[in-house]
Amino acid sequence: MKVAAVGFISFFAFIWNKLTLQHIATSGAEEVSVPLNMNKEVQFFDKYIIVNSNHQTKVFSSHCSHLGCKIDKMESGKLVCPCHGSEYDLQGQVIKGPAYKNLTTLDSSVSDDGKSITIKA
Amino acid sequence: MAKKNDKTTFGTLAVAMFWLVILSGILLAVPFNVESPYLSVSTMIVANPWAALIRNYHYWSSQFFLVFSLIHLYDHFHYKEKIGLKKGLAFRLSIGVLIIFLAMITGFLLKGDSDSEQARQILQTLAERVPLIGVSLAFSLLGHPESYQLIYVHHIATFTVFIAVIMIEHSRRKYWPPVLDFVISAIGVLAFSYLFSAPLHDNLNPAVKGPWYFVGFQEILHWLSHPAWSLLLFLLLLILLYLVNSAQGKTMFLSKRSLLIFTAFYLVLTIIGLFFRGERWQWKNPWQENYRYEVLNNFKSPIVKLTPEFDLGTAIASPVIQGRKESCLACHSETHGLTDSHSPEAIGCVSCHGGNPFATGKNQSHNNMILIPGNLATAPQSCGTTQCHPEIVERVPTGLMATLSGMISVDRFVFNEQDNPDELANVHHLGNSAADEHLRNLCVRCHLGNPKTEYGPVNESSRGGGCLACHLNYSPEAEAALAMVRDTIINAHPSISLAISNNHCFGCHSRSGRISTSYEGWHETTLEAKQMPANDNNYRLIEGERVFVKKQQDVHHELGMECIDCHHSYEVMGDGTLYAHQEDQADVQCIDCHFYGNARTIKAENLDNESAIIAALRLGNISGKEFLVTGKRKHALVNTFVENDTAFLQTKNSKTKMALTRPAEVCTRSNAHSDLACSSCHSSWVPTCIGCHNEYDPNEPSYNMVANKEQTGGWVEFFGEYEAKLPSLGMRTEGEKSEVIPVAPGMILTIDKSAYTDDADNSTIFHRLYAPVAPHTTTKEGRDCKSCHNSSLAIGYGEGKLEYEIADGKGKWTFSPLYQRDVNDGLPADAWIDFLQTRTGKVATRSNVSPLSVKQQQAILTVGACLTCHDDDSKIMQATLNNFEEQLQKRSSTCILPEWK
Repeated sequence: MKVAAVGFISFFAFIWNKLTLQHIATSGAEEVSVPLNMNKEVQFFDKYIIVNSNHQTKVFSSHCSHLGCKIDKMESGKLVCPCHGSEYDLQGQVIKGPAYKNLTTLDSSVSDDGKSITIKA
Repeated sequence: MAKKNDKTTFGTLAVAMFWLVILSGILLAVPFNVESPYLSVSTMIVANPWAALIRNYHYWSSQFFLVFSLIHLYDHFHYKEKIGLKKGLAFRLSIGVLIIFLAMITGFLLKGDSDSEQARQILQTLAERVPLIGVSLAFSLLGHPESYQLIYVHHIATFTVFIAVIMIEHSRRKYWPPVLDFVISAIGVLAFSYLFSAPLHDNLNPAVKGPWYFVGFQEILHWLSHPAWSLLLFLLLLILLYLVNSAQGKTMFLSKRSLLIFTAFYLVLTIIGLFFRGERWQWKNPWQENYRYEVLNNFKSPIVKLTPEFDLGTAIASPVIQGRKESCLACHSETHGLTDSHSPEAIGCVSCHGGNPFATGKNQSHNNMILIPGNLATAPQSCGTTQCHPEIVERVPTGLMATLSGMISVDRFVFNEQDNPDELANVHHLGNSAADEHLRNLCVRCHLGNPKTEYGPVNESSRGGGCLACHLNYSPEAEAALAMVRDTIINAHPSISLAISNNHCFGCHSRSGRISTSYEGWHETTLEAKQMPANDNNYRLIEGERVFVKKQQDVHHELGMECIDCHHSYEVMGDGTLYAHQEDQADVQCIDCHFYGNARTIKAENLDNESAIIAALRLGNISGKEFLVTGKRKHALVNTFVENDTAFLQTKNSKTKMALTRPAEVCTRSNAHSDLACSSCHSSWVPTCIGCHNEYDPNEPSYNMVANKEQTGGWVEFFGEYEAKLPSLGMRTEGEKSEVIPVAPGMILTIDKSAYTDDADNSTIFHRLYAPVAPHTTTKEGRDCKSCHNSSLAIGYGEGKLEYEIADGKGKWTFSPLYQRDVNDGLPADAWIDFLQTRTGKVATRSNVSPLSVKQQQAILTVGACLTCHDDDSKIMQATLNNFEEQLQKRSSTCILPEWK
């Protein structure tokens, strides 16, 4: 009986894991195009932080590497997480914990007219 | 038996609450919209009071369900007897506790506010870090990041059904609570629901927190760089719970005690999280500034008004503000007068005024409201919130108009309290020294942090007011509305905009250096108001009973330019750097507009965001435009642009376009005057003051300008003589670079500190300090040669008779001062230096400013000697501008140069 139960649960977990991962895969690798303001040094765009500095545009995930909270504020030139106060510089490097990993850099390409940016999430 | 079964316990109360949660949840499903949860919840609160009541009911019944369930657990724990459940049941019960928390947290997420969004991110991250199945688990629990569908399904079905099954099994198939428990619970929760609304974040306050039962966990997470370890804590708790229910003997006892100790520890953490953590989880004590705003924000819990104090139809029709409904606009639906970017339709009322957007009664809505937003103390909560101007509000307090660093530092220097006049200081850090009290009594009213406390337009009497000091404008309608009776809804709102006029600057800048009045061509006299000639347009009475007389206005003013046509946002609002003095913070220089050679420009697409926004607001489409930039800090001058190789300036308010002129040839063709600041020559006059005396009078009715209150005892100033004169010349040395700059007698004064310090022996201070000045009386034509080379005033000797005499073939300069020599230092009262002497040490209000050296004086007077015979524009004097030494070599025998012995 116990063996059957464990087997059933294992089978259920297997199916569930498969179907969920497949569903996530079918949702597709996200590629979004958002308006780009080259005049703005830092743009917070929901899941993304777009940083223009030294004639270079970089995109970081706005999710804090500590617990994933969305960073939506810059203070004293630093990107600050609202949940636990982790701080990053404009290169996405951790300055202050509790986070210890840098922000994730996302692949991106700026359009020819410089007015939008395509981000691969 | 029946009686025993009906006995009220926390378990039966929890069952009662569970049923109330179910019932209220079914009702709540009607108005709740899972596609836009935040909007639907805020709409319920603002426009559907019955739905708001049911939401509260659902919230409070669920909170009590959790609390009673936990107490029910505790009931078992504090007894030493074993509970002795079967292992399967104990396991399911442990899982049930976890599921209860999941049901609770998913309910929290379904608010869709900023607290919920961040909690969702944390939950997702933690779930994803479960080994092997993390990604599937996180997605299955929370679904697609843009959707609340799965969370909703789990909340209303998965978790609820699971809890119900476990509860029924746990209570040995008892479905219903005792009737009395149910009735009492229903009534109690109803009372709670009516009196205290369920929380909803306004999405403006920067402090974000999880639900009360998880703030202790949030505190733990804040300690952990690797928060995945916290999952083990959950596992441990579940195991302990399982052991408590199923184990025996020592294991059971230790498990109980461990859980009790953890519970006590977690309670402490919860209290810390709830009451001592603010924005960014920083520690915040109750007596600290903004404690209420940052920490107690989550405790806003207005009473439900089933008949709100506004028309529900208006509330329903009110606009959606940043994803939410605000109750403010149900009453203030006719508010107008604001610019588009600040209109109620765009940002609502709460963005600026705070208060409670989810209360439906006037008093509750207005509780903790910021009546006059923009003052620096509250600007981070209004103008500076994340969606608005945080980067500006952050740097304004670093600017000189907020710190008053130069004013304070020089004053302390003059009072001999510090050796250097260039130290950084801040008006908020004044102490109790004689200088600081002097500042409090006489000087520091004009700082941006001085709050505006009364409605009304900015005028000559205005001081401070933070953002409003510059950006507030009243229309005639808004000004007329000020007279309306109290408690009347005023619809005409003053505007907040870029329309910054000279009047905004005038209140503060008509004092001290008086650049506002000088710019317009008004010089302060020592006349009393009653002495002012009547009906004479040459005189003007300015706030404070001060009488001004007409003088030459600045050429830029004559052309219709206002202060902001030169001064850009980073100068005025600070650039984030602390500067000691005005000339340090000032960025714009004459040469930025009146340049020779090629224009220094920046393309529109390369502008910083602030400059781009301002330029676009002022000029419209800026695409393709090129703007001039400052030479000093490379900031854009957004009202200048280059078209067809010609540089133009467009006045910011009146939109007058004018071509920018290049400097005169005389300014650039040689190195004769290359080390002169433009204002040394192009200033027509500067206000001067000599013979000022300050003393402390312990009985004098006085004013504390920091605390804004009357007091007895204060510093009194006895001013000397005010005169409008051509500026004198001094040297500013920065590193290797020296520049001739205009200076004026700024502090030739005495200070009697005896009454303040009770030290009669060492109480009187005398200083003879000149100050660098920015006269703001610019002339198109520079001053003539003699006004410097033959002027005792220009060289620093003060007024008097400066004559060149030739006798016996020898030339000699002589000087007879106009003013008597001061007993303190033997110099003429208005002089900076004695004739053909110089001074070092404490000579100016800056450490890098000094009088002309003897050698420089001799060089100037040598040219002056030539000018006694040759006119300014004579061929020979013009030639000296190219090569003075060469002309000296060519001089005839009748040309006698001065001798210096």
